[in-house]
Amino acid sequence: MGAIYKKELKSYFTSMIGCVFIAIMLVIISLYFFVVNLLNQVADFSTALNAITFVIVLLIPIITMRIVAEENRQKTDQLLLTSPVSVTKIVLGKYLALLTMYGIVMLILCTYPLIMSRYGAAELAKSYSSILGFFLMGGAYISIGLFISSLTESQVIAAVVSFIVMIFTYLMASLAQLLPSDNISTWIMMGGLVVIIALIAHVMLRNFIITGSIFVIGEAAFAIIYFVKPSLYDGLIVNILSWFSVVSRFGTFSLGIMDISALVYYVSVIFVFVFLTIMKIKKKRWS
Amino acid sequence: MIEVKNLVKDYYGNVAVDGLSFTVEEGEIVGFLGPNGAGKSTTMNIITGYLSATEGQVIVNGYDVFEDPEKAKKSIGYLPEQPPLYPDMKVREYLMFVADLKKVKKRERASMIKSIMELTKITDVSEKLIKFLSKGYKQRVGLAAAIVGYPEILILDEPTVGLDPKQIIEIRELIKSLSKKHTILLSSHIMQEIDAVCDKIIIINKGKLIAYDTPANIARVMENSRELHITVCGSEMTVRRALDYVDGIKKLDVRYSDATGMSDITIKMNEGCDVRKNVSEKLMDAKCPIIEMKLHEVSIEEIFLKLTNSNNKEDK
Repeated sequence: MGAIYKKELKSYFTSMIGCVFIAIMLVIISLYFFVVNLLNQVADFSTALNAITFVIVLLIPIITMRIVAEENRQKTDQLLLTSPVSVTKIVLGKYLALLTMYGIVMLILCTYPLIMSRYGAAELAKSYSSILGFFLMGGAYISIGLFISSLTESQVIAAVVSFIVMIFTYLMASLAQLLPSDNISTWIMMGGLVVIIALIAHVMLRNFIITGSIFVIGEAAFAIIYFVKPSLYDGLIVNILSWFSVVSRFGTFSLGIMDISALVYYVSVIFVFVFLTIMKIKKKRWS
Repeated sequence: MIEVKNLVKDYYGNVAVDGLSFTVEEGEIVGFLGPNGAGKSTTMNIITGYLSATEGQVIVNGYDVFEDPEKAKKSIGYLPEQPPLYPDMKVREYLMFVADLKKVKKRERASMIKSIMELTKITDVSEKLIKFLSKGYKQRVGLAAAIVGYPEILILDEPTVGLDPKQIIEIRELIKSLSKKHTILLSSHIMQEIDAVCDKIIIINKGKLIAYDTPANIARVMENSRELHITVCGSEMTVRRALDYVDGIKKLDVRYSDATGMSDITIKMNEGCDVRKNVSEKLMDAKCPIIEMKLHEVSIEEIFLKLTNSNNKEDK
């Protein structure tokens, strides 16, 4: 794990990507810091951070795109996977290297509230909790980028797909509000979801009995819920979709609240996508 | 030691390896021979744990590759078909990374890499970026990476592909010198290479084992393996009369050419007989001066073609 961690970290600085990432990130955040906190004299760093969550969506794909895709393209995965290191350690090494890159920026940001405190009473607790939230949110997006990078051999595809997925989760909260929330349309949409799941299962398994029973049981379950307890459908779609909204969890941190549910949310997103990456790489052996 | 037992690899109905079993004993160099797409690389990828098998068992140095992969992998050095190099690393940096990856102890790394670079003759490029190296050097860096950690077993997939003749000879010498300390399985579709380096040959085609023996034994297995080609001055009749009663000739074939006034003779000899002395005496007696005489041993190449072809016919 250590070997891969060191190698990845080193490669970010020898190939400039790392420096460019840190530089652009700092320039944008500092600009907001300067305008919001210093010029307009807002004593709270979280206001600036809240305004620039989009930076993550724009910049995280830059560091995650090559992380596994490049190994696949150069066939260096053959070296890693035939060495006496488990896939879990390989993926963790890579993930931690990415997190370190991002962590460097966060460490530098930690000095900003101190700058503010020179000029008056800065809200340090609120500022630092929002930096922690920003770090966790980035960690979650990095795990998504890592997983998408493991799906392809092309850095460009990895970057574009990561970008689209991240934009989608970024806009999810506002998109979800646009969808109808009455019970019947929720039922229809859940029914559609079952059809999609059954189709995906069919493509993967090619087994009519399993996919057919998924379809029948799923549709029956949602129909029963609709007739027996329709109140369960109240705002269900909105709730489900906003569950995917990685950014909205950041809101509670920027209020200075140490929200356990948001913490658990980010950690579980990280866990799920790191796990999926490990599974994806392991699965390659079987194809 | 490598033990492969009844290995099957099925790519969704496309069988790449089909019930392959063989054992490579300690200290042997075994050549893995087969036409393109015979399943050589797939087999090697399975032995090294890069791919899984559909069925079967691979035991490397006493550890099952599928059940105890980390221990098994620790005793294998692998050079894949395309050397797994990071173009943006320097040669020494890359080898240090590989040593770290293979869990070589920290204080041994520098000296080990120094001696490996000397062995593979890449010391003079040790501070160059890998992307600027020529194909031959890249191949050698890949080989050096496989040797890092001195694993008991080396698996080399076409180690000389893309090299110039001088480099090929160098790499062959290197492989031979490595065989003193390592068990080596190397693949190739070039027969001379295997013939020159290996103790034993495994011939596979379409994922099936066709032959597994020493090069000499494989040659002996072939019927009518030795032929004598002679060119003499003289008509077919005189030649036939002269050679009719020579012992040890299994089959005599004479072709007379009017244009040159010479006969081409092809003699198939009985096993264990050398008739050259007898034949030349008889021809001298018959006043047929010998222009050319050469003993033709059937090469591994011909055996290989013959074996894989007969295998193809059986399939049809």
